[in-house]
Amino acid sequence: MPVQEDVRAVADSSRRKFLEITGAIAGLALFDELARSPEDALAAYEAEIEALGSRTPQAVANRQSTDVLERMRAELERALQKPSSERRWVMVIDLRKCVGCHACTIACVAENKLPPGVVYRPVIEEESGTYPNVMRRFIPRPCMQCENPPCVPVCPVNATWRNEEGIIAMDYERCIGCRYCLTACPYSARTADFGFTYTAGTPVGAGVVGEKNADSYERAANYEYGNQYPRENLRSSPVGNARKCHFCQHRVLEGVLPACVTTCIGRATLFGDANDPESLVAEMIAQPNVMRLKEELGTEPRVYYLT
Amino acid sequence: MAETTFPPQRRMAITAIRWRPYDFIWVAGSVLLLLGIWGIWQRVSAGLAPTNLSSYVPWGLWVGFYDYLVWLEVGSLMLFTALIYLVGNTQLARIKPIVLFTGLVVLLMALFIVFLDLGHPERFWHVFVYPDFTSMITWMVWLHSTYLVILGAEFLLTLWGGENSERWLRWLGLLSLPAGLALILVSGSIFGVVAARPLWNSSLLPLMFFISALATGAGVLLLLTVVFWPGKSSAEYRQVVRFMTQIAAWMLLAGVLAASMIAFTTLYQGSPARTDALLLILTGPYWWSFWILHILLGVLVPLFILFTMAHRPLWVGVAAALSIVTFVTVTLNIVIPVLVTPEIEGLATAFVHPKLTLDYVPNVMEWSVIAFVFGFGGLLYGLGLRWLPILPHSVEAHNE
Repeated sequence: MPVQEDVRAVADSSRRKFLEITGAIAGLALFDELARSPEDALAAYEAEIEALGSRTPQAVANRQSTDVLERMRAELERALQKPSSERRWVMVIDLRKCVGCHACTIACVAENKLPPGVVYRPVIEEESGTYPNVMRRFIPRPCMQCENPPCVPVCPVNATWRNEEGIIAMDYERCIGCRYCLTACPYSARTADFGFTYTAGTPVGAGVVGEKNADSYERAANYEYGNQYPRENLRSSPVGNARKCHFCQHRVLEGVLPACVTTCIGRATLFGDANDPESLVAEMIAQPNVMRLKEELGTEPRVYYLT
Repeated sequence: MAETTFPPQRRMAITAIRWRPYDFIWVAGSVLLLLGIWGIWQRVSAGLAPTNLSSYVPWGLWVGFYDYLVWLEVGSLMLFTALIYLVGNTQLARIKPIVLFTGLVVLLMALFIVFLDLGHPERFWHVFVYPDFTSMITWMVWLHSTYLVILGAEFLLTLWGGENSERWLRWLGLLSLPAGLALILVSGSIFGVVAARPLWNSSLLPLMFFISALATGAGVLLLLTVVFWPGKSSAEYRQVVRFMTQIAAWMLLAGVLAASMIAFTTLYQGSPARTDALLLILTGPYWWSFWILHILLGVLVPLFILFTMAHRPLWVGVAAALSIVTFVTVTLNIVIPVLVTPEIEGLATAFVHPKLTLDYVPNVMEWSVIAFVFGFGGLLYGLGLRWLPILPHSVEAHNE
């Protein structure tokens, strides 16, 4: 029909014109970008970042042209040169960058060989608002490594304490499993090891399949606190004990970042020595958008959230 | 067929085992023990895994029963000792052996339960070797052990100490008062010092424990008086029962008033951190355990009987028994609803596992273990009544 043909002709002509114009703009932009020196490009980028007022960790790292992981690793090595009492390990979690992938939770489970029912770093999912104004955010909750830890004084046998570096540590062999520390932690950051295994009750199979063959992996030792804890039976710790996140102290002391930090796909979890004024975490916890959980309790958590 | 005959000694042994009125206690204890074997086997072979306890509700039925038994034991013994040595009521001394023995058995049951609640019960001795006295549990274990020694010595001296032991008994009795007071206050402080749980975190809770212990203890003493007092037809019996009835009634009333004031002030201030747990007790799925078992059967009915039928020992005994039995709902309602109230919303769904849940209802295995502990207590109590010189003489003579 004539009217439809006219409309189609106008549309074709508009599309052609649009492509010509956008192609020209893109070409000019590319030429401009190629014509600039790398220094100019970086300066322009930094100016852009500054103009945006962004202080996100990755933006800070980008300004120095390094990945935050590289920077934190270098800072970790620097911190380890100092006496342990002069370090103050801090974790910063950027809630704006967490996508709720749970990679940190799983990395922690694998690193510490956590059995079923034990978790050190769950990610809480929170939804607020009503449609169409809805927000979803994800809040990883490791142990807060409080400066005034309520879980420590309640232990009847001195099986848990705050070490020189501020990590709340456990002596699995001394713990009697009264679980008072679980009730005393305001963040529910301690879990009890009830002795479960993933392979329990699975059918007997060939090779590495089934409880009989595969549970040797589960029985093998983990290396929390630098010690070996094989799960031989119900009486072998950490079965029957309280368990908790320790910022992967066994890795940190070897110069390796905690498992949850290295596996965070959005670089939302940062770790370092807050006593080092040049460190990324020291920079981040000075931001105005920083908060800690349940500050009113006076526990002084060492896990900070950027909101 | 030749008639079976027994040699004389054997015949004597058979005639010696004849039934006595209180033998039903050890028989009932044996039945409970049998019922509890399954639970205790589960506990020994699989640890705490078969319980419904979780990391978010780490204490449950057993801790609730522990506190309940501490209330019964310390409350009855403190009140009894105070009445004899401070008030000077020497009449009550007639039932001293049975009161001490009851306290001793209940104390052993309490320690047994809390022992089974440990993730590593074989390490219980760590509390003595590596104690941290900033922990209320350390104080609880040390004080409970001290109390066991005092009570054990008092019991042995009462039964076999002879006439010269009275001075020692007086000192032990007086010593047991501050020890008992400390134990009950520490038991309350275990919860009271936990800032993470707002409803527990109150300086009033230890005092609440003290008043509740006296209320339940008064009920225990009243029941023991009604059941074991020698010479039920004597005027002295009626006088003692009336005296104990008054004490039990007023103690119960004091406990109700104290608890009501805490509830009213908590609800009035309206902070969800505190009121959520309280509302769970009052209106949650187990509202009936509070309103029907505790308030109706444990408080109102006993109070009515105690205030109106003090002259009828049988009814008074029923009131005391009702109050004692239903008081366990109080400790369970102190322990469980606070723990099932989330500390951080959304945590229970963040990482899903049956041991990472806020849903807690004691399961059959947990009740089976309770049956075992009560069976152990019942057996011990029944056998003690049978073989030890505990009962007042005229009852013994009557039974013989």
